[in-house]
Amino acid sequence: MKNDWLFPHCYRRIGWLLFFPSACLGLVDTYGEYLPWLRANLTWLYALPSPSFLDGDLIDEVAALGIIAGLLLVAFARERTEDEMIRQLRLVALQWSVYINYGLLALAIVLLYDIAFFHVMIYNMFTILLVFIGRFRWSLRRLGQEEKQLA
Amino acid sequence: MKNRLKVARAEHDFSQADVAQHIGVSRQTVNSIETGRYVPSAVLALKLARLFSMPVETLFSLEDTD
Repeated sequence: MKNDWLFPHCYRRIGWLLFFPSACLGLVDTYGEYLPWLRANLTWLYALPSPSFLDGDLIDEVAALGIIAGLLLVAFARERTEDEMIRQLRLVALQWSVYINYGLLALAIVLLYDIAFFHVMIYNMFTILLVFIGRFRWSLRRLGQEEKQLA
Repeated sequence: MKNRLKVARAEHDFSQADVAQHIGVSRQTVNSIETGRYVPSAVLALKLARLFSMPVETLFSLEDTD
């Protein structure tokens, strides 16, 4: 398949390098009020200038975009040998992630309200990619283990 | 779907890695096809048949459950 809309293999490492700092930044920004010492050491971060069209600081925007970009690179970087069986595993993993994502969302719609629901919606932005990555990597690992057992 | 890929490979003295390299897939894919865990596409089945110089029906055949 000529155009498979995947990133080069090396982008997976770049994706992780983008994801972890962004996720840490997002967690600090979200839960920083419970860690005042950490927040106090990061005052410079909140003092950085931000464009006038943004409401408040740049932190949450940078963190969210970094997490999304990082996860997209990890999820859709080509494997060393990207063949039709790998594409099949990708498709199954994507189907799983969509089911789980909307299953969790359905539970949240029924069980949670107000700010709690809002928090779920924040995490829901990332769960589809996180579940996809987890399921896909697990499929590849299981394939390797099955092959070892048969050898 | 049954296949006699392992037999054909032995007849031609090919390793799984050799077959994988010739048809442009990973060795795991060849292994999965051999063990029946993965059913290849028509394109891949035809490539395998061409590699072993045999009709695709000789290499792959339907089972009663298919």
